[in-house]
Amino acid sequence: MAALLKHVESIHPGLWLGTQLARAYGKTVDTGYAALSAELPGGGWPLGALIELLVQQPGIGEMRLMRPALARVAQRPIVLLQAPHVPNALAFSYLGVPLDKLMWLRASKTADALWSAERVLQAGSCGALLFWQQHIRSEALRRLHLAAQATETLLILVRPLASAQDASPATLRLGVRPAEGGIAVDMIKRRGPNRTEPLTVTLQPSPILLSPHGRIRRHSLAPAFAGGVQTEVVASV
Amino acid sequence: MVLERDKVIVLDAVAKDTGVRVGMKRGGVTTLAPEALMFDRSAEREEELQREVAIALLRFTPQVAVCEEETIVVDVTASLRLFGGILRVCREVKGVVKAIGVTARMSVAPTGRGAWLLAKPGRRRVLKMRSLERHLGPLPFMVVPELRPFADWLNGLGCRVLSDIQRLPRAGLKKRCGVDLLDSLDRAYGLAPELHEWLELPPTFSARVELPDRVEHAEAILFSARRLVVQLCGWLTAQQLALTHATITLEHERGRQAIEPTLIEIALAEPTWHEEHLVRLLKERLGRTELEAAVIAVRLTASEVQAAEPPSDSLFPEPGGSAQDHNRLLELLAARLGAENVLRPAPAPDHRPEHANHWVPVQGGLKTPPAPDDLPRPTWLLHAPLRLMVKNHRPFYGSPLKLVSTGERIEAGWHDGALVTRDYFVAEADDKSCYWIYRERPSVKTEETRWFLHGLFG
Repeated sequence: MAALLKHVESIHPGLWLGTQLARAYGKTVDTGYAALSAELPGGGWPLGALIELLVQQPGIGEMRLMRPALARVAQRPIVLLQAPHVPNALAFSYLGVPLDKLMWLRASKTADALWSAERVLQAGSCGALLFWQQHIRSEALRRLHLAAQATETLLILVRPLASAQDASPATLRLGVRPAEGGIAVDMIKRRGPNRTEPLTVTLQPSPILLSPHGRIRRHSLAPAFAGGVQTEVVASV
Repeated sequence: MVLERDKVIVLDAVAKDTGVRVGMKRGGVTTLAPEALMFDRSAEREEELQREVAIALLRFTPQVAVCEEETIVVDVTASLRLFGGILRVCREVKGVVKAIGVTARMSVAPTGRGAWLLAKPGRRRVLKMRSLERHLGPLPFMVVPELRPFADWLNGLGCRVLSDIQRLPRAGLKKRCGVDLLDSLDRAYGLAPELHEWLELPPTFSARVELPDRVEHAEAILFSARRLVVQLCGWLTAQQLALTHATITLEHERGRQAIEPTLIEIALAEPTWHEEHLVRLLKERLGRTELEAAVIAVRLTASEVQAAEPPSDSLFPEPGGSAQDHNRLLELLAARLGAENVLRPAPAPDHRPEHANHWVPVQGGLKTPPAPDDLPRPTWLLHAPLRLMVKNHRPFYGSPLKLVSTGERIEAGWHDGALVTRDYFVAEADDKSCYWIYRERPSVKTEETRWFLHGLFG
């Protein structure tokens, strides 16, 4: 009996102890940031599940946070739905996302946007769906979550940070705020223990490549990255 | 109710309640039910409808024959395995017939003539020759058209059903009634080979349907349009073609002046002959169409077709769905959102960021040109640069912005009238978020330095 209780979490993948991270149900894709991956169940973004990214405002580093994962799923098309601003194609190619896989959908109505999201998920031919939405009803969320479960698409819903208070069926909810050299990630909901203190992630590539004062600013904190600016370029400045 | 030669031949339940019966004259009907709708039977339109159903049934087999007395004979012997058995075929045939908007009695028999006879009094499904003989026996002999002229004589002989006729001496029957009668019976019992006039297909497809009423909402047309799509799919399947381009013409009611019919073009990236996909596309397109006048008729024309490629099945299907699935998704998205809202990048070789970042509809045929991947650019560009306030000689956006990079001078566009002279900087706000801002270089006209926000580092 005692032996059974000791490994109660091994009975079923859906069981875990309050102090542990859950094991992933399905596939995950590595986030590319080791500190963040270590904090997520399954060691990465879950595929075929609703992930919510709650950003303080668009354009604070959420795309660079997604960059390694997007590059990994980019054998299949990547759909940007209701992007907050005009996506800059050159930036995506700089981030390592192949341009021939990129798709931008604009919908004039929320109903159209939700319909498109559901269709994209049902077709299952896309590698990732990034969906920006200000207000979304909880039944729509549940429907998206359900549609995502039948696929292997990376579904990321980007919402304002204020909606962290509302309940959501999402498997993973992360709050994203800008911080020195990158972003601070708040674990709002995950299958695992609560984590109250934010996790600072140093994002690559940093937009600040060349300092006006002729010295390397905070770039040397993390090793230079393939796809970013080469080390020699930075060092020679 | 429907009248033929001023006599009621078909009527609905409501008419029956008022006391109208089959065979009544027109005058009698108007006395009993003055508000009843009466239509004259039109043989041409019946024939047309029968032909429409036959074309739709071509999906199951190329051997479809339009027979006398509102019957269609379909030889599905060769298609049974493909569709998974006779029950499935029957179910799908029923679905197609329903989509056309008519009701049918369906019978199955090993001979075409036998099925024809069985379908007359009711629906019955027999698969073996012996059970066919058993079921044909008790049928009244009046179902066989060749026997009808001799009805009185046969009644006088004491014949009532087909088995009675079968028992009569063949030689005498042949002498009195001719060869046709015996041939017809032999064909039904499988003793003589059958010859059918199989339906010949028109080389082009263009079908029209009149709506039952004037329709003012585009969505309401879908039901009638589906009837056309079902026919189109039958036609495509029989010829082993796939549709690449179709036109839907919505004919408007003639008001004071004639209104040009509304055209809806459907172009398909992935040739298809599947009803489901076409109906779905049509639904989205009709949902976006605004009608300027009521519609009275719909016409569907297949303007471009190509030879259908059989699906290439791989042993292990790809997890992400095939390229065809993706193309179908794109078509569907373009149908609902509009082609101008389903975009892919097509970066242009230009120094100006807003010109370099160019997006085109996905369904254009051109390939994406390669883009340089070593330009540090912000992920998001604003639709139009936002003029920033200046406080204490520093640009201000929510908080004072601090320049954290050396400038990048972009000066281009003198040749096409959209000259920009800008120095771009990366600026950092108090909350450590980074912005891409530029300073417009002072020209002769403006002396002050103006700052603009142009991009966000997402």
